Amino acid sequence: MVNTLTPEAAERAAHRPRSLAPAAGRHGRARRRQAVVAYLFLAPTLLFFAVFLVLPLGFALLLSMSRWTGFRLGDIDPVGLDNFTGLFADGSTFLAPILTNTLLFALGTVALALAGSVLVATCIDRLRFQGLWRTLYFLPIVTTVVAVGNVWKYMYEPGGLVNGVLNALGLGSTAFLQDPDTALPSVVVVQAWATVGSAILVLTAGLKSVPQAYYEAAALDGAGPVTVFRRITLPLLRPSLLFVCITQFLSGLQSFALINVMTKGGPGDATDVAALEMYRQAFSYGDWGTASAAAFVLFLVVLAVTLAQLWFFRRKGEDA
Amino acid sequence: MRRPSGTGGPSRRHFALALPSALLVSGCAGPRRGSGRPGDPIVLTLLSHYASGELKEALRGPVDEWNATHDRVKVRTKAVEFTDLLTTFMVRQAAGQGADILHPYCLWNGQLVRAGVLRPAPPGHAEEIRRGYGRAAVASASVGGTVYGYPTEVQTYALYYNRRLLREAGVAGPPRTWPELEDTAYRTTRRDRYGNTLVQGFGLSTADDSTTVGQTLALLNAAGGSFVSGDGRRTVIDSPAGRAVFALEHRLVARGASDPGVNVYQAFASGQVAMVVSAGWWTGSLKSLMGKDYGDVGVAPVPVPAAGDERATLATGFMLGVNTASEHPDAAWEFLRWLNAGRVRGRGAPATRMSVLQVSVGSLTGRADDMRGLLGEGSDPNLRPFRDALAYAVPEPNGPGAQQAKSLLRKNIEALWTGQQSVDEALRTTRRQVDQEVSRSW
Repeated sequence: MVNTLTPEAAERAAHRPRSLAPAAGRHGRARRRQAVVAYLFLAPTLLFFAVFLVLPLGFALLLSMSRWTGFRLGDIDPVGLDNFTGLFADGSTFLAPILTNTLLFALGTVALALAGSVLVATCIDRLRFQGLWRTLYFLPIVTTVVAVGNVWKYMYEPGGLVNGVLNALGLGSTAFLQDPDTALPSVVVVQAWATVGSAILVLTAGLKSVPQAYYEAAALDGAGPVTVFRRITLPLLRPSLLFVCITQFLSGLQSFALINVMTKGGPGDATDVAALEMYRQAFSYGDWGTASAAAFVLFLVVLAVTLAQLWFFRRKGEDA
Repeated sequence: MRRPSGTGGPSRRHFALALPSALLVSGCAGPRRGSGRPGDPIVLTLLSHYASGELKEALRGPVDEWNATHDRVKVRTKAVEFTDLLTTFMVRQAAGQGADILHPYCLWNGQLVRAGVLRPAPPGHAEEIRRGYGRAAVASASVGGTVYGYPTEVQTYALYYNRRLLREAGVAGPPRTWPELEDTAYRTTRRDRYGNTLVQGFGLSTADDSTTVGQTLALLNAAGGSFVSGDGRRTVIDSPAGRAVFALEHRLVARGASDPGVNVYQAFASGQVAMVVSAGWWTGSLKSLMGKDYGDVGVAPVPVPAAGDERATLATGFMLGVNTASEHPDAAWEFLRWLNAGRVRGRGAPATRMSVLQVSVGSLTGRADDMRGLLGEGSDPNLRPFRDALAYAVPEPNGPGAQQAKSLLRKNIEALWTGQQSVDEALRTTRRQVDQEVSRSW
């Protein structure tokens, strides 16, 4: 809300005798009118949030404590916490392997993407044509996940490019996506490759903001490149690293499309993740209650992981 | 001039409230089912997965014929891809825009009935369906003994084999028993020195539910077993028959005759798979994919565990049913009877419009008499084992939770094939998971 009264005017208004009440009333009406105008300007945004955020969130909360097949709104049947207890009951696959896979997938993606992007961003920072390199590494981001997933799927096939290279090196073939031991790591590699571009963009921007004076001082002191990287670059990159870490973790925990295209959660449930399970529960099995309960459990996991990261970086001195 | 406050007429606030309301009401209003004026025709909507290619064209023929010959009731088809079909049913039903006539995969029938989406067939239609179709087709279109629609395409499972690959391995004909199947599989398997599969003896594939689960259930039925109990409330996969099937598949994978990592749909068409169990619809795809090499393809009944065992296999299918939300159920059933029971002359023999439609796209219906007439002389001989299987096929379980049970079975079969689980573990885990989840669905 906008206050158009200057402090002096406001003070005068506050000390005005009661005989000036009609004028004060006019000011009050003007202020209310201003508030109405302000809310009218905010209305489209508030309406948007209400329709696309608050309403679905409330509906999901309702469904998480109900049984609903997804067909008729009148059939929503409250069941209390049954859906939540069902997720962790004997015979349920939600905790293990689904939630475990989700965390491993996110952790693997963050570790690979973070290490790769720090390495590549540091290299790019020393190269000519930096814009070109950044663009090249950013290309997977603008490619659809379905295309990326399918191309990598063919590359991982027993007769595909990756096995071709292994065979050329005299090694035997591996069924990367069909072997439960290699399926999840194989998809993690693709997810990390597909998302490393945005991390590189953020980190190269972070590197640009490191004052050159530190590097000059380090050079004068005779510090080697490893020491410079450990003692100057990494600590000063911490804000960018925090951002990359949190965003990569969020997208890793919510990953759906890539796994759906590449493995559909298989073989067995070796690559089954929470988002995929939620989709199946709701749209294939018609169990919207379980799907919504799983969504809230995943939300709590995402919140806990994000808070843990913020705490960790704060402990290291980063004011997030 | 400013309007004095407090006077009548719409204020800005009224306008601000009315505009979104009007937009919401116009956006969420139900579909127009005809003009609603007396004398105007009723317009029925039919939602199916016949969305493209020859399926779309095949359905358009009879629908156009109906619309040209019936003034009172018109039919409008809507189609989505099969992968979006169940979701579309849900979303449209929840929005109050469900189609009058639905064309679901019979596996979903229990789920749809429990959700109150499907209307039971009126007694006259139910009697006609029970009388006109085979046992498996009627059971697929029924839930708890109540018939819910006219069965359309029925898919039975049989053994596809590559004559050339069998001949090269010195095998004279298709296997009839499991020992023969194993022997043929081992003899036809070939790999290169890096372990890449050149020829799979028996195709076990994780490509989709119909390959992974379909072929396992076909073998299970052939061994006299079934996936779920008679009341559909628990699994009986850990029966001796189930154990025998899991053990057979485990041996085939462990000894290298099956490579579940290979997409069997592509590999068989490329001559890289000697044998595979699959459904009848595949013949049409193989014809177009293989060209003249299709001559190498033969089809035989699913082998049984031992000579003399009674034949059995799996049948899956679709049906046409009427939505409980339809405002014109009588007209919808009238149209369905015309489409599924009304006879026309097709390839010389009189058959129902649906049977003619399905055979034209390389598929079958559950009407054995129609199939005998339409798949006689001059038709693809590879379709006949599927037609003959209509007499002994076992319907796919379709109670509430059937889709989830199938997905859980698939996961455990894959875990067995990839060595994550032993036969005992896979059977035990399937039982525990399916029983837990299916019990929640009832």
